[in-house]
Amino acid sequence: MALQLATEKWSGEISEVIIGATKDEGGSRKSVVRIGGENTLPFLFNEGKIPNPVCVAFEVWDTAPSDWPECLWRAFGKSLNDSLSWAKKCVEEYKAKILCVRLQSAHPDFADTPPEACAKFIAGLLNAVDVPLVIIGCGDDAKDNLVLPAVSEAAKGERCLIGSAVQDNYKTLVAALSADGHNIIAESPIDINIAKQLNILISDTGFALSRIVINPTIGALGYGLEYAYSIMERARLAALSGDKTVASPFICFVGQEAWKAKEAKSEDERQGIIWEMLSAAALIQAGAGLLVMRHPVAVEKVNKYIERLFQR
Amino acid sequence: MQNFKVSFYPDKKSVEVPQDTTILSAAIQAGLQINSACGGDGVCGKCRVLLRKGKALVQPTGTLSEIEKQKGFILSCTSAVQGDLEVEVPVESRLDFTRSGPRYFSSPEESEPAEALVSDEFFEYSPLTEKIYLELPRPTIEDNASDLERLYRQVRLCKNTPILQTSLYNLKQLGEMLRDADWKITVTLARRNDSLEVLFIEPGDLSRKNHGLAFDIGTTTISGELVDLKTKKILATKTAYNRQATFGSDVIARIIHAQKESGLEELHEALTDTMNEIIAELASEHNISLNEVTCVLCAGNTTMIHLLLSIDPTHIRKVPYIPTANSVPTIRATEADIHIHPRGLLACAPGVASYVGGDITSGILSSGLYKEDSLSILIDIGTNGEIALGNRDFIVSCAASAGPAFEGSGLTCGMRASGGAIQKVRIDPAGDRVDYDVIAGTPPVGICGSGYIDILAQMLKAGLIDRAGKISAGERRRIRHSELGKEFVLAFKEESLTAADIVINESDIDNLKRAKAAIYSATSVLARHMRVDLADIRKFFIAGGFGNYLDIENALFIGLLPDLSRERFVFIGNSSLAGAREMLLSAAARKQAEEIAGKVTYFELSTDAAYMDEYMAALFFPHTDLSRFPGVKF
Repeated sequence: MALQLATEKWSGEISEVIIGATKDEGGSRKSVVRIGGENTLPFLFNEGKIPNPVCVAFEVWDTAPSDWPECLWRAFGKSLNDSLSWAKKCVEEYKAKILCVRLQSAHPDFADTPPEACAKFIAGLLNAVDVPLVIIGCGDDAKDNLVLPAVSEAAKGERCLIGSAVQDNYKTLVAALSADGHNIIAESPIDINIAKQLNILISDTGFALSRIVINPTIGALGYGLEYAYSIMERARLAALSGDKTVASPFICFVGQEAWKAKEAKSEDERQGIIWEMLSAAALIQAGAGLLVMRHPVAVEKVNKYIERLFQR
Repeated sequence: MQNFKVSFYPDKKSVEVPQDTTILSAAIQAGLQINSACGGDGVCGKCRVLLRKGKALVQPTGTLSEIEKQKGFILSCTSAVQGDLEVEVPVESRLDFTRSGPRYFSSPEESEPAEALVSDEFFEYSPLTEKIYLELPRPTIEDNASDLERLYRQVRLCKNTPILQTSLYNLKQLGEMLRDADWKITVTLARRNDSLEVLFIEPGDLSRKNHGLAFDIGTTTISGELVDLKTKKILATKTAYNRQATFGSDVIARIIHAQKESGLEELHEALTDTMNEIIAELASEHNISLNEVTCVLCAGNTTMIHLLLSIDPTHIRKVPYIPTANSVPTIRATEADIHIHPRGLLACAPGVASYVGGDITSGILSSGLYKEDSLSILIDIGTNGEIALGNRDFIVSCAASAGPAFEGSGLTCGMRASGGAIQKVRIDPAGDRVDYDVIAGTPPVGICGSGYIDILAQMLKAGLIDRAGKISAGERRRIRHSELGKEFVLAFKEESLTAADIVINESDIDNLKRAKAAIYSATSVLARHMRVDLADIRKFFIAGGFGNYLDIENALFIGLLPDLSRERFVFIGNSSLAGAREMLLSAAARKQAEEIAGKVTYFELSTDAAYMDEYMAALFFPHTDLSRFPGVKF
C-alpha cells in the first residue's frame, strides 16, 4: 500500500501583494512582482496553492554605504558611490527583479537630505531602472514623516512598497500611501501581537489589509534567527487558521542583519556571503515572501535555491 | 559629619540633613510626598526635582533628557546633598494627594459606604468587642465571693462562654471602682476564639458607647469605616492614599524598602499614621472619644499586614515566597501603634499566601462567592488585582499586579473616588462636547477610576484614540500637545476647582491600558488554567474603589472585562472593606473567613508561560484577538 501523506486544509489565505505597476496599470514598470497568495505552509505544495515564489530584492542606498564591510565594497566596486549606477548594476548585471532603496541620506545624522531632494532622487531612479521599487525611510520617525509622503507622491501610480510604519508612527505614512496607491510595510519588533495590532490599526484607517506587508524584524543566523522564525511561524499558523489581520506576506531584511554579524566581517570573504545565504534560507522556510539582500553572490545562490525549491 | 540645609520650593519647607543624604530622604523628612515608584532605585524617573541652588552629587541617569538635565533637573533619589540646597519640586513629581492642597481626606459624605451583598443579618451578631451593663449584687457575709468572682459570675449570667482572662490593671482598680460606682458598671468583653476576655471595666452604663473600625488596607488606598457596634450602623467611611507610596508604588518596592536601614519602621509609621488620621477624623467628626473605639478589624494584602504589625516582610519576595504569618492572632491595637482605647483590639482578616491576602478572603466573604453553586469570579480592580474563581466546593485565586492606575494614582489628573472626582463621562461623537458627573457635585478636581474607564470607552467610540491608545485625532479645541504625548482636555480651567485644566494624556492612557491588560489576561489565564470557559461563569463580582459607580458596558468596551452578557456582572464596590465590617460584627463571619482562607488555593501567574503572551495580546483596545469581543463594535 502506498504511503498516504496526511494533508491539512486551512481556512485562511495570505493576501497577494503586487509591487510595481506596468504601463497598462498606470505605472512605468516593465514587470511587477507578486508575493504572498499561498493558502498553506511553505513548500507543502500538495496541501494548497503557493502561487508566487519567494523573491529577492537588492538593497540600494541613496548615498554611499560608508559602514558596509569591505567585502561588499569589493563586490560592487565604485558603483556604491553613485546610487543610480549601483541600481543599474543590480538590474542589468545581477538581473534584479526588484530593488529596495533606503533613503539613508535623509537621516539627520547623515546628510539630512530634504524631502524634495529625496523625491527627486526617487523620480530619477524610476527613470533609470524599470523594475518595481521598495522604498525605506531613514529610520528617524520625524524625518520620515516628511520624506516618505514626498517620495510617495513622486512615485504616484508606480505601486511601490513603502515603509516602515511602526505602532507609534503610522498615520502620516498610511495617509500618504493610501492617496498615492502604494503598498505599506508594517514593522513590529519580533512580536506577533504588535504585528497584528499594527495591521488592525492600519486597516482601521481604511487602508486595505491586502496592501500590507509585514516586516516581522529578524535576527541573522546566531543573532536571534530562531526567535524571528518562531514568530513568523506563529503568525502564519494564525493567518492560515483564518485570522485575516495577520494574513500578510513577510518582508525580511536579511542583508542588513547578516552583515552586522561579526562573523560576516571575517577576512575570509566567503564567510559573510554564507552568513547572508544561510540566514535567507532559514527565513524562506519560515515563510518569507520578499528578502532584501546585499551581496550579489549570496543573492545568486539564494535565487538558485529558491528556483530548486519551487521546481515541481 | 557636616549637616546641610535643604529647602524645598514652592512649599518653603526646609530640613537639616547630614552630608550624602539623598534629596528624596530629605524631602520625606521635610514631610513632602514625592512620587518614587521604584522606591529610590533611580530607574523610574518619577522623582525628578529642579536643583535651583547648591551642590549635590548627581549620578548619571538615562531617565532625564538632555534638555531636562540642562534645565537643572535631577533625580532626587540618586542625588546626594553636598551643601545647602534649594530644590523645587514640580507638580508631576508629587504624589497625587499633595498636588492640590488638602484633599488628603474626603469628608464623610464624599466617600460612599461600601455596600455588602450579604446583609449583616446573614451572620449572627457577635461583634469583636461588646459592652454590657451590669448591676452586681452587693456582697454580704453569706454571698462573700471576691469582687472578680462576683463580676465573672454576673457576666456568665448573660454570656454563656467561659471567661479566659483579664489584666492586672483591671484587678488593681476593681475593688475601688465597684464600690465608687455603686456596683453599676459597664464591662467591655472581647471574643477570643471560644472564650471571653474582660478588656476593661468602667463605672455606670456606657454600653451604648462602643465603636469599632473596619479597614481595607490597600497598597495604594486605605479605607476606614466607623461602625457603631451596638446598633450595627455604619457611621461614616473615609479613604486616604497609603502614605507608603513614597517608598514605591507596589508591594515589591515596599518590601525592598523594608530591608533598608530603618525602612521597616518608616513603612510601619507611614501606614499607621495614615490609619490613625482616618480614625481620629472619623471619631472627632462623630464626637466620639478614642476611648469609645474598642476594636479594629483590618483586611489587607499579606505585605500590608506584615508592615502594619512591623513584621519583616523579606521572605514574601524570596523564593519560595513564605510569609511570616497568613493568619495573625488578635492583638492589642496599641502594640501596632494604632490609637484607639489602650486595651482595644486589632484583628486581621486571615490570608492565604504571600500574594493572596486577607483582603481577598474578605472580598470572597462579602461577595458570597464561597456559597454559590455555579462558578463565579471575583475581580478586585486594585493595585494587586486579585482574582478568585470558584464556587462552594473550591476557590482558586491569583494576583494580577495591575498597578495603581484604576485607583487614580500615577496619572496626570488621577484621584481617588472622593469629592471632586469626575466619575462618569460622556463625550459626543465629534469629540467637542464633554459631559461629566462629579462626586459630591462640586466642580471637578481630578478623575477617578470609573471616570477613566468611561473616558477611554468614549474616546474610542468617538475615534479620538486608536486601538493602541494613541490620540489619533488632529489638534482641535480639546486636543493639544504636551510633554507626555498628546492630551485631551476634559475640563478647562474655568470649569475646574483647581484652576488647572483637567486632562488625560497618552502616557495616562498607556498606564490604564497596562492595568486593564493585566487584569483581563490574568482572568483569562486563570480560567484556562482551571479549564473553564469564561462563558460558563455565571457571576462576575467586580470589586474596587470606584465609589458607587462603574459602567460595566464601558469596562467591557475597553477590554477590562470579558465580553459576556451584562447581567452576569455585579459591581460590589469595596468588597474587602465590606468583608472587614462583617468580621467586625460577627464571630461567625470571622470563622467563615478562616474557612475560606483554608479553602483558597493560589495559582502563580508567573509560572504560566502563556501569561506574558496573553498580557501582550491584551495591550490593545479591546484586545488583539478581536474575536473575543464580538460585542464591541467601533
